[in-house]
Formats: sequence, C-alpha cells, structure tokens
Amino acid sequence: MFESVQMVKECLEAEQYIASEDIATVVYLAERLGKPLLLEGPAGVGKTELSKAVAGATGRELVRLQCYEGLDESKALYEWEYAKQMLYTQLLRDKLSDLLADAESLTEAADRLAAEEDVFFSERFLLERPLLKAIHSDHPVVLLIDEIDRADAEFEAFLLEVLSDFQVSIPEIGTIRSDPDLLPCVFLTSNNTRELSEALKRRCLYLYIDYPTVAEELQIVRLKVPDLEPELARQAVEAVHNLRAMDLKKNPSVSETLDWARALVTLNARALSREVLENTLTVLLKYEADVARARRILRGPGGSSRGGSEHGPEPPRGGREWS
Amino acid sequence: MEERIARFVAGLRASGVRVSIAESRDAWEAITYLGVIDKSAFRLALRSTLIKESADFETFDELFPLYFGIDAPPLMNPQAELSPDEQALLNEALEAFAGDLSELLNWLLSGQGPTEEELRDLADQAGLKHADSPYQARWYARRMQRLLGWERLPELLEMLWEWLAERGMDPQQIEQLKRQVAENMEALRGQLERFAGQRIEENRVEQYHERRQTAHDLMQRPFNSLSETEMDVLREQVRRLAARLRSRAALRQKRATQGKLDAKSTLRANLKYGGVPMELRLKRRRLKPKLVVLLDVSTSMRSVSEFFLRLMYELGDQVQKTHSFAFIDHLEDVTHDMRTLRPDAAVEAVLDRLPAGYYNTDLGSSLSQFIADHLATVDRRTTVIVLGDGRNNHNNPRLDALDTIKRRARRVIWMNPEYPAQWGTGDSDMLLYAPLCDDVHTVRNLQQLTDAIDAILG
Repeated sequence: MFESVQMVKECLEAEQYIASEDIATVVYLAERLGKPLLLEGPAGVGKTELSKAVAGATGRELVRLQCYEGLDESKALYEWEYAKQMLYTQLLRDKLSDLLADAESLTEAADRLAAEEDVFFSERFLLERPLLKAIHSDHPVVLLIDEIDRADAEFEAFLLEVLSDFQVSIPEIGTIRSDPDLLPCVFLTSNNTRELSEALKRRCLYLYIDYPTVAEELQIVRLKVPDLEPELARQAVEAVHNLRAMDLKKNPSVSETLDWARALVTLNARALSREVLENTLTVLLKYEADVARARRILRGPGGSSRGGSEHGPEPPRGGREWS
Repeated sequence: MEERIARFVAGLRASGVRVSIAESRDAWEAITYLGVIDKSAFRLALRSTLIKESADFETFDELFPLYFGIDAPPLMNPQAELSPDEQALLNEALEAFAGDLSELLNWLLSGQGPTEEELRDLADQAGLKHADSPYQARWYARRMQRLLGWERLPELLEMLWEWLAERGMDPQQIEQLKRQVAENMEALRGQLERFAGQRIEENRVEQYHERRQTAHDLMQRPFNSLSETEMDVLREQVRRLAARLRSRAALRQKRATQGKLDAKSTLRANLKYGGVPMELRLKRRRLKPKLVVLLDVSTSMRSVSEFFLRLMYELGDQVQKTHSFAFIDHLEDVTHDMRTLRPDAAVEAVLDRLPAGYYNTDLGSSLSQFIADHLATVDRRTTVIVLGDGRNNHNNPRLDALDTIKRRARRVIWMNPEYPAQWGTGDSDMLLYAPLCDDVHTVRNLQQLTDAIDAILG
C-alpha cells in the first residue's frame, strides 16, 4: 500500500503530520514486514498522533485500546452478554414452545432446538472490545495499543498471544480468525515507565521518537498554527528548545509548543517579550518548580537563554563585568 | 552481505545487546525492501529490527561503522598522468632506491594498496592477535606503520624527488607526483587503521563466544574458588541473568494458581450460572515485594554479596523498594549508595564502607543494631533477606533480635553459602537461626544464587 518511503512521508504530510526520515522509513518497514511497531519516547512527541495519521492516510479505521494497570482480557478482548441472553430466552419462551409443540419425541424436540442453536450462541450476544474488533473487522484497521507500559506483565503475555496469531477462541462460538489479507496494522506506544518484556519487544519493530529539531518543530508549528507569524513562530520554537536545555522536571513537549503557539495567536502577541513569555510560561511548564526555575533563569544573571528577542544589547550583569 | 549482517549481530551480542535469531532474520528481510544503496535507510532498517531498547543505541552507533563503514578511500595511481618516458624514469628510481622500504614505495607509487593477505601478515607481525579493545586500533595501526618503515619515508621521498629533478623530469609532474603520494599516504594510513579496527572486533567476538562457554561452566563453581578473571566473566553475565529472571517473573504471574478470591471477576465469570459461584477466579496479581537486605561483607562472603548486589541492581524494577544494609562487626546503611550509583560504583562503595580486614563477623550485634536503628523499614509487607554464613565467632547470636524482625516482617529468608552439613560446625550458629527463618537457600554458586532470587521474586 505504501510504495516507498517518500510516499509515506507525503501521505503523512497530507494528514498534517510532519514525519522525519527515520519515522517514515520505519513505518514503511513495519507495513512491508507486517510487524507491529513499538513507539517509545517522551510524552507528547507525537506517538499517538502518528498512528492516527497513518489511519487517515491509509483510509483505515482507527481502533484504540488504552492500557492501564488492571486491564484484563474481558475489557480488552470481548465480553459475553449473559444478561441479554437470558432476557432473550425469557422473551422467546412462548415461541419456543410453539416450535416444539408438535414434536413427537424428546429426541426430535432436542433436534429442533439444536437447529435453532445459532440464535443463542451467536455473535448477537458478543460484546466486541477493541482487540476483537480489530481481528474480526471485515475491512483492515489500524490498531493502536496506547501506553502499553502501564498495563501489567500478565496483560503483555496475553497480548503477545493475540498478536502472534490474530485469532481468538471464544468458548460459546468458536475460533475467530482474522482474514490473512485483512490483518490490522498494529502500533504500540510506551512512555518507558517500566521495561517491557523481551518477548513483546522481539515481535515488534522499534522506533524511538525524540523531541524534534528546531527546523522540524518550526515546520510543525507552521503547519498546525498557520496564523502565527513566521518570525514569532521561530522565536517561540527557539525559546522552547532553550527551555528543554534547562534541567527541568518535565520538558515541554511538542503538543505544549503547539498549545503555546495557539495561545500567542489568541493573545495577539506581536513579539516575544519577556513579559509575554513569563505570563504564558504556565502553558509550557506544568510544574510550579519548573516555572519558578525558568523564571529565575530568564530574569537573573547568566540568563542568556532567551530565544533572542531582546531589543538592544543585554544589560550588564553585575560587578564582574566592570573590570 | 548476509554474512556481514550475521557478523554484525555477533558483534552486537558480544557487546551485551540481546539479539534473537528472529530479529536478525527480520533485519535481513527489511534490507531486501530498503536496499543497501541508501546508507541511512540501510542503517535505520538494521537499527529498528535489531535494537529494541534506547539504551543500546550507543552500542549500535559504535559498532555500525566498523562493519559497514565507508571503505577507506582507495589509493590512486600517480603514474596515470605520466608519459612512458617518465614512467620508465620512475621505475629506474624505484630500483635505485630499493631497500626495505621498497614494498611501501611500491604501494604508494603504483596506486595498488596492500592485499588482504599482506595486511593480515602485517597485522600478525604487529601482534594484533591479542588485541581486544577497540581503543587500541589506532595504536596497532601505528605499529604496523612502524613495521613498514613509515618514519623513514619522508626522507626517502625527498631524495627521490631530487633524483628525478636531476634526471630532468618536468617540475610540474614532480609536484603532481608529490601530491598524489601524499594523498596515498593518508589513504593507506586510513586503510591500516580500519583493518586494525576490524581485526580487533573479530577477536572480541571470538573471545566472547569462548567466554560464554566458560561462563556457563563457571556458574556451577562455588564462589570462593573463583579467580578475579573468572569473576569478571561472570560479571558480564549478570545482565543476561537478570533479563531471564524478569521474563520468568512475568510468565509466572500469568500462570498463578493460588491467591485470594477475586470477587469481581468471579461474579462476572459466573453470570452464565445465574450468579452461583461454580467457577472460582483468584487474584493473580502479585504485588511487588518490598525488600530489606542484610549482607555479610566479610572476606569469605564478599563475592557472594557482590553478585547479589549486582543482580538486585539489575532487577530494581521487579521490586517496589529495597533497603540495603551491609555488616561485618557492625551494620552500615548502604541504601543510598545502591540507589544513586551505577552498579560497579555502587558495589565498590558498599565494599569500601566496610573494608575487609582483621575484624571478625559479629552477626548478633549487627542484628541488635538493626533493631535499634532501622526496625522501621520492616513492615508486614517486607521480605527480609539475610545473606550470611551464620558464623558468629562465638559472639552472642541475638536470636531475640531475629525473632523481633521475623514477627514484624512478612517473611525472613536466609541465604547461606554453606551446605546444611556444615551448619553447627565450629562457630556456626546456623542451626539456631534456621528455625526462625521461613526459608533457607544454599547459595554456593551463581546458579544457586539466581534460583534463590527467582524464588523470592516469584
């Protein structure tokens, strides 16, 4: 479906996702090799966005499974609606007795009932959860398993079984297998809060998505927030990169950069003055300690990490300069 | 190319990256799609199929150029621009200046570098068979240069140019020759260095395979019989052992058959029976254990303790919290060292705090010190591990202290390098300690230590 790496890049760009060469290549490989793709990286760099973009680009439906600790088979794979089944049985009782009314022997009655078995042991009462939906779908889908590192090791082992064969056994119905031509395209994302099991990693291709470079991030901002002036956008991106260079508890991610860009547009900011920067710092930094630290660095001596918008030369910074 | 990839994978494994066979097959398949012409795509194909942890990227970046690096620029033929007369003149010069540098001169002046054979011979002469560190590549390359007589080359070349000028060669041609030869010298130096690097890499991979065999045997040998080099071999294996323990713990969680009743999933599973609990569902999720570790670091126990610390360091994510204490005749809290330093440094720091010396193990007073100062770290979810031989030098064993700990903790586990037959002999108080413990493991060699830790985590 993707003919070349270049095509991947173009398709993703059409979906408003700027993919670096690395990302495009690995996505192409994953599709060609038919392997799941494990995306790791800091929060907010576009891992989930990538799978959404691929779904849009290939015209497939996105099936999303959000993982958390305690996620188990019933919530991920399927559930059988027993209550509904019992209700149906109750309501159809009259019809059943009609059906069996003129049966002459017990065997015949049982046979007639067996012929109607499909009513009760069918997919009518099957509640499909994301994994089964992906397997059972009659058109190929993109399966996104988000934040797999938050699920526990037991779920990982279960997932491994499902991902190897793309088939599932349901006691009431039988085995449901995925059509070999319609295998889902699988993405797994992880924030690296714990180490995943080796078996799962072996199955997948691995891609580490790091924060983008200044040029790439600028491209993203220009694409997603076109209302922001180019010069201001450049200053903003440089400011964010300077913030990342500071040793903060939580670095601002790409999504926060975009939020900030939109905030600047809303505030009709003309230039990135210190005032604007300090006022909107909380859009970028989500910890009070980080905000305080950033303010200190921007304000105090030695604070040359500014994003270069100060008009005129820097003011002298203390006794040392007067030598 | 397939062979080169196989060797690359072997090189990665020798550096501690765990690459499975399925992954190397994936790598080969990926390359059939992306081709080898585009260098960065090729690199990315290998990286995304072989490396599954961001921590291993560094190793990949180091080794990739050694196996798939741009070949050193080839030597150019300086005689290409010369007329037949001038070539004849040059040949005459070569004969005249023949000596032990003739081989080198030949390579530089004809543009034909050394063959693989010649390079190998030269490498053997330089002693490359014994090299195993990638940092030594440059040093060995220089040695090979010296064997060829590189230092005398500039002087000889000067004489050569003068001779040619005297014989009437066009000065411009001589200039050009000079330039070409200088370039060839650079290229040749690059080739030598690259060759040295590759040979060293080959050596390393070979050694790794030998060591793995020995490691396997060494794991069965008791700790106190190992020499320092053998301990080094085992130290490399720690990471591999930790990975194995981790996967075992994960699998075990799945197959558990005991635990408390899980009401929620029992009800759900029994809806088909109208809510009557015909099938019981048990809580399979094990909470991660909290550990308190008391390590004997006296001389006889040092190696066991060291390996225990290394394994615990690697398995940090399987345990909720670890408090570590080391003792010989008194107790030292080493939790901070274990948490903040990297494994080698941490182990050293711990062993430094209590340097082995002339003092005798006093387990009893260490235990009493523990209850006096650190009993708060033990609660009903904690597993207390004591790693010691139970030999007290006839001091008071303070069984009451161990009893206090036992009543507070979830369980107390003792790991002893001595066999049960040796308990109670000499100054061993093990027979007194053993009944107070929930479990006693014999940890005479690394295999047993690994199994004991497996039992604790499981």
